[in-house]
Amino acid sequence: MTPEEIGRFYKALKNTDLMMVETLIQEYIVKEISPIVILNEGLIGAMGMIGQEFKSGQVWVPEVLLAARNMHRGIDLLEPKLLKNKVPSKGKFLIGTVKGDIHDIGKNLVTMMMAGAGYEVIDLGIDVPRERFIESISKDHPHIVGLSALLTTTMLEMRELIRGIQQTFSNPPKIIVGGAPVTQKFADEIKADGYGEDAVRAVELANQLFSSGENT
Amino acid sequence: MTETPLSSPKRRFLSGLFGGRKGDRISVANPTSIVSVELMVKMGIFFPDAHLDPHKMAELAAAGHEILGFDTIMPEFSVQQEAEALGCLVDWGSPTMMPDAKTHPVKEVEDLTIPDNILEKPSMAVLLRSLEILKRTHGDHVAIVGKVMGPWTISYHLCGVQDFLIWTLTEPEKVKELLRRLKEVSIAFANAQFRAGADAVVIADHATGDLVSPKAYQDFLLPVHQEMNQRIGGPTILHICGNCSDRLRLFVEAGFEGYHFEWQVDAKMAVQVVNREISLIGNISNKEVLFGGTPEDVYRQARYSIEAGVDILAPECAVPLQTPIANLKAIVEAAKEGYGSQIRASR
Repeated sequence: MTPEEIGRFYKALKNTDLMMVETLIQEYIVKEISPIVILNEGLIGAMGMIGQEFKSGQVWVPEVLLAARNMHRGIDLLEPKLLKNKVPSKGKFLIGTVKGDIHDIGKNLVTMMMAGAGYEVIDLGIDVPRERFIESISKDHPHIVGLSALLTTTMLEMRELIRGIQQTFSNPPKIIVGGAPVTQKFADEIKADGYGEDAVRAVELANQLFSSGENT
Repeated sequence: MTETPLSSPKRRFLSGLFGGRKGDRISVANPTSIVSVELMVKMGIFFPDAHLDPHKMAELAAAGHEILGFDTIMPEFSVQQEAEALGCLVDWGSPTMMPDAKTHPVKEVEDLTIPDNILEKPSMAVLLRSLEILKRTHGDHVAIVGKVMGPWTISYHLCGVQDFLIWTLTEPEKVKELLRRLKEVSIAFANAQFRAGADAVVIADHATGDLVSPKAYQDFLLPVHQEMNQRIGGPTILHICGNCSDRLRLFVEAGFEGYHFEWQVDAKMAVQVVNREISLIGNISNKEVLFGGTPEDVYRQARYSIEAGVDILAPECAVPLQTPIANLKAIVEAAKEGYGSQIRASR
């Protein structure tokens, strides 16, 4: 796609009217552009631009939430086509808000950005007990696991969960943590593989860990 | 030079809040909760009982003055009183878990019903009764501080944070109408708290820099806050956590007596920007020092804030429940050392 075309997707993701993204996707489907190109270059490319704007403080959380809503609508329309053309995923990312914590805005932002960056995201939701994380790791074999907490009380649950994962699996997935009360110091203490202070950093971190994991 | 006479906690706090005479030392206050598990154990009073019983609420809150040495007693430990009275299902938590709204019943303005007797709803009445008790037991010498949620925060609870934030872009008129109606709850509750005995009321309204732009504050909340400050009869303190360095002047314009702020906002910069037109209350970091550090770390931050010229020293937000008592006491110890040399010279 040309920069101008990506710019149209960018505008559609920022628009408060869902119709703009719907019309655009239909236009590209009619033109018989590959759904993988529409997804990766159009939607994901535009979402990446908005992510960068968020990181540099040009846009705020409502704009990112709106863009994600519009992107999901676009993906819904593409889905029947995408099922016919298998989209290669960058890697599997498992995420959840740890037990005791029902806050999900941070987790949802990371989920959107990771999906936007081309990862297959398995979202376990909020207040996720340790056993469910372990079960999903055994079943889905994610490359990276993201743990989120907003509360200082539940942040302590991260320590137990990481210990549990590392004891259960001989070759555990990489674990990254984040959330308002979490610091790099705390992440180091609980032996997490990484800490992201925001959703964009979480994606960068996942990219780094994923490429280093591929080399081992 | 005549030695400054010792002040009472109440005088010290009120003077700081109105930016008045400095007295013997800076006031230490808590616009938000300073209850920790350790404090609950010492008092034998625990969450969730202390959220729901006015006597337990008052007694646990008073420990902030009696045991920790703060100049204020603030009995609202959570942010859910209004949410429950307006129809959210609230889980009142446990000694290690703060309360949280489990349902968000408002999707349209029409879904919002404000009961005529809202101040008599149990979650609201408990706070008013608790303030009345504290006024009788401590009101002669300690500042009694009340707290209400502003319309923005109540909207988060009633509508869900994510939906409400998207509506600021897709349905701004709906957001304005919700704020217009919900501000009546905040005003009525604040004035009732003054009648019950509060010396000042905190208005928590989380249009934080971590979520929305200064323009969103200016467009949606500034006029609402200005009206609230005109219609609330006593001194108000705005609490918005997160990094709000970019909107401090808007808080001045809104007409609050004080702004309760976080460590992320540099105290020196803030003092310069607000230019003594609003009192600054803060800003000892929860996650880095009160929860994650030592009394020495707390002391260092407290001295930095004092030297920077904040008006009242306080933790930046409701402290984590695992915060050690020794760290909270370290704030008071740092205050007791008096003002720094620069401030003394300018007095």
